[in-house]
Amino acid sequence: MTGMADAAEVTHATDAEVFAALPAVLIDRDNVEHYRGLLARRLLINRCAACGYWVYPHRPLCPKCWSWDVVPTQVSGDGFVFLCTLVHQERDPDAAPGEPVSTAAVELVEQPGLRYLAPVVNCPPDRVRLDMPVRLTWVDRDGVAWPAFQPSGPIEGGR
Amino acid sequence: MARNPLKDQLAVVGVGSTPYGRDLKRTELSLALEAATAAVEDAGLDRQEIDGICGTGMDPLAMGGSGFLTLQGALGIEKTTWQKNGWLGSCFVYAAEAVFSGLCDTVLVVQAYTRGIGMSRSAAADPFRLRSAQLRAAGGHTIVGQSDPARRWIHSGEPYAAWMARYLHDYGATKDVFARIAVNNRTHATTNPRAAMRTPITMEDYHASRVIWEPMQMLDMDVPVDCGEALIITTAERARDLRHSPVYIHAMSLGGSRVGEYYDNSLGWTENALWISLAGLRERSDLTIDDLDLFFPYDGYTIDTVGCIEAAGFCKPGETADLLASGWDAEANIYRLGGHTLVSTNGGALSHGRAGGFNFYTEAVRQLRGTEGERQVPDARTALVCAGASFFHDPASVMLRTD
Ligand SMILES: [Zn+2]
Repeated sequence: MTGMADAAEVTHATDAEVFAALPAVLIDRDNVEHYRGLLARRLLINRCAACGYWVYPHRPLCPKCWSWDVVPTQVSGDGFVFLCTLVHQERDPDAAPGEPVSTAAVELVEQPGLRYLAPVVNCPPDRVRLDMPVRLTWVDRDGVAWPAFQPSGPIEGGR
Repeated sequence: MARNPLKDQLAVVGVGSTPYGRDLKRTELSLALEAATAAVEDAGLDRQEIDGICGTGMDPLAMGGSGFLTLQGALGIEKTTWQKNGWLGSCFVYAAEAVFSGLCDTVLVVQAYTRGIGMSRSAAADPFRLRSAQLRAAGGHTIVGQSDPARRWIHSGEPYAAWMARYLHDYGATKDVFARIAVNNRTHATTNPRAAMRTPITMEDYHASRVIWEPMQMLDMDVPVDCGEALIITTAERARDLRHSPVYIHAMSLGGSRVGEYYDNSLGWTENALWISLAGLRERSDLTIDDLDLFFPYDGYTIDTVGCIEAAGFCKPGETADLLASGWDAEANIYRLGGHTLVSTNGGALSHGRAGGFNFYTEAVRQLRGTEGERQVPDARTALVCAGASFFHDPASVMLRTD
């Protein structure tokens, strides 16, 4: 009903391995293929096999056509920065102030409004521009490769 | 006899159900969606006719699972003017009263349950159920992505800061638009004995305040306080016999959009839930913004106020900076909208204090009663409250008036 069987071929990580690798993530039956994909450095987003609509956040039903045939599908990794915040202050007020970290909602080229939240790397934080073209890369955190985005064109000067 | 004005006024027109099983290997959301789509199809309705949703849960901000935010997004329902979560038998009653009151015409109630880990040994051994129980227990409810390092916006201020940058970028505004909001609210707070922040500030103070999440600064953010607010609502008939001149609820609307519960996938600036709520109000109100004496836009962050001003129709999208500059009273350090409407006369959440916007209602009622002495706005007869208005959850627009 959810099309998840197709994606099981993507990587060989078992459910147990996905749970063990990502102890802090709310993994459920609607998003587990996304995380299984991450472990194989593949960015998978659910896509409706009936109408082609990309379904993200991960849900089991296509919100356009109400088809249940939603299949985790690899995206190109190309996009642009739609929203970006420089986080100067951590949630914990006692945490030492570090370098500002840029977190972006990257709009993927596959569909208007299809956005993935990830850090922007290989670019000074103060040179991240809205609408800047970026491409998927991976950063290591706690022994797991996480999606990040880096500029796919020249970086403009400071603001 | 008790009053029963809803007698014979409402009907159930569609039903939908899923299979039942001990381990269906599906999420609560998946089950909820199957029942919901079946009910809509059973009724023979176009799903876009649904303008109210009651999701599953005791928590009004329940996200994920099968709360109303997730349901609206997952079902692709464009606009709702009433939403709530509920459970057990009472959710049916909530939904019925919403239709009877006119806040929506066609309501979808969805309830889904899954077997919890405390209910059997086999459930406790299921890693999916276990993970859900562990992470949901932490905060009483789950903000989707909160525990997902791939979705690193943890505090709501971060996406609002990002939206501030997007607004400045798209409309070519400067941060003076935010500064004027902060200064206006602080100025009003200086005369409010209940306000937490009563020291006057200037535009320069705003610009000099600490950057938290660029471009958001300290003075863009409301002030967390300990506080209490309450009010009582009764029938207009009964109200006329009581001590104070009645403040009438003229019209109300909530607002929900098909984005569901995510900031990063939020719709365009003019499509978010604030716009739906204020459009819903316009469709229900005989009074317009031209009639307004008082306006209480949400100001958890200054960008919320910009959104409320534009969604209410005081100016076109992107024009708030010009509107506030032209309405600025440099002597009083406040702005007026349309030359007469005063804004956030209590100081708002930015300076009176964060009460989820509930202090907007109590301030509006006091001003409309005319009991505020030195700080009374002369002849205040109408007030529009936009309290607790997130870009995607809980925007409430309420028009209040007195005789
Ligand atoms: Zn579809």
